[in-house]
Amino acid sequence: MSYIIPIGPYHPALEEPVHAKLITDGEMITDAEVSIGYNHRGIEKLATERNFIQTIILVERVCGICSHSHAFNYAQAVEAIAGMNVPKRGQYIRVIMAELERLHSHYLWLGIACHIIGHDSLFMHIWNDREIVMDILEEISGNRVNYGMVTIGGSRRDIDEEKAQHILQMLEKLESSLLRIRDILLADKTVAMRTKGVGVLTTEDAIRIGAIGPHARASNVAVDVRIDAPYSCYDEFEFKKCTWDSCDVFARVVVRVLESVESISIIRQALANLPKGPIHLGVKLPKVPAGEYMTRHEAPRGQLVTKVVTDGGECNKRVSIHVPTFKNAPTLTAMLKGNTVADAGLIVASIDPCFSCMDR
Amino acid sequence: MQGYEKIVMTKDDIVPTAQRMRDEGRRLVMIHGFLTDNGFNVSYEYEVGSNVESYTVETAESLPSIAAIYDKAAEWPERELHELMGITFEGLDTSRRLFLADSMLDGQGQILVTPMKELIDKAQGGKQA
Repeated sequence: MSYIIPIGPYHPALEEPVHAKLITDGEMITDAEVSIGYNHRGIEKLATERNFIQTIILVERVCGICSHSHAFNYAQAVEAIAGMNVPKRGQYIRVIMAELERLHSHYLWLGIACHIIGHDSLFMHIWNDREIVMDILEEISGNRVNYGMVTIGGSRRDIDEEKAQHILQMLEKLESSLLRIRDILLADKTVAMRTKGVGVLTTEDAIRIGAIGPHARASNVAVDVRIDAPYSCYDEFEFKKCTWDSCDVFARVVVRVLESVESISIIRQALANLPKGPIHLGVKLPKVPAGEYMTRHEAPRGQLVTKVVTDGGECNKRVSIHVPTFKNAPTLTAMLKGNTVADAGLIVASIDPCFSCMDR
Repeated sequence: MQGYEKIVMTKDDIVPTAQRMRDEGRRLVMIHGFLTDNGFNVSYEYEVGSNVESYTVETAESLPSIAAIYDKAAEWPERELHELMGITFEGLDTSRRLFLADSMLDGQGQILVTPMKELIDKAQGGKQA
């Protein structure tokens, strides 16, 4: 007999509001519907009432995890319209922050995944290490979230030599622990039993539906904006796209661990080669002519798209923000079908959803 | 490095362009829209190499849906534009809301089509009451 099991929008197992209807046959999910919008705050509309500096503060509040990504991408769009060239040192600092943000986002998700599958000791170990990343972020910016590191034309805070050395020491500690976590995750029986063959998204489905980011790379789709369409100074670093071909929740775990190793490498390269010079173009309100531009940034969860339209005035005419979850959430139906209700929570979590981002 | 090129097209070009892009294996990055004095402006952004080609149409008429060509990658943005801005896409299944499910809200468009002044007036009016 077929049953409909509603989950959400407010549910003890959900961190953020979303509504899913699972159509089930016994314990098996035969179909699913997803509804969104419960976190809609009208941020795009608000952006039309703000000047370019104020909008940076606003778009940082789209998400508490990838706040720097939103500010970074918005600033790049405005700078492209205004024809500004961001000083190299400012670009490097933006990239360092972006990779630190990727690290803390991936650690957050890995910890949650371990918690959901009942491996709480690994969850605590991963989140303990995440604190190292949060400490670095706090040391650079003064904040654990919403770092306020971006301004139009550069970065707001510098990283001096002493701070750089301290960060490198902390990264060393983080990396040795991460390699151990990687080995455990790849070989652990509990992780394998709960994640292998669960929530499969085939490569064909990932391409058809338009999945992006680590979610797509875990379905063996090699897309990464940092390499495919480099921006800022990403073309100056050596790193690789991390893909896995098992297309299941296990692949999503592996890809995020491998990417964390790459992020540490990028931060090391950036700190070792941090160019000398200014970090921004000045603190005056920028004059931005009429125009439009769309930029793409590889946020922790995938490709973030920000489009800005200006009319020569002080405020934005239109700001449109589209986040990775908006592209990855439609894949849920394909992933849930044929799985048990007991795995639904893990499968939904495996796209690393951010409904706050998606609803804006 | 990333590039961005805007190409103006007509309503009739939407489906053939989408089909050509799909056949060439191009990714639909996003469908963006915004309201103008004369209607609305909808742009279909495709990834071509490291660049984005933005095919833009400005109209007040309904537009053909490309959900049959780009699946959910087009369906969700079209449903968003329909629900938040009132733009109609021919052939798009709108029997169920994507943003805020079912019968929770009635009618089209919420914050994006409500002028900020009106929202402030309502909020201040509510406080006084």
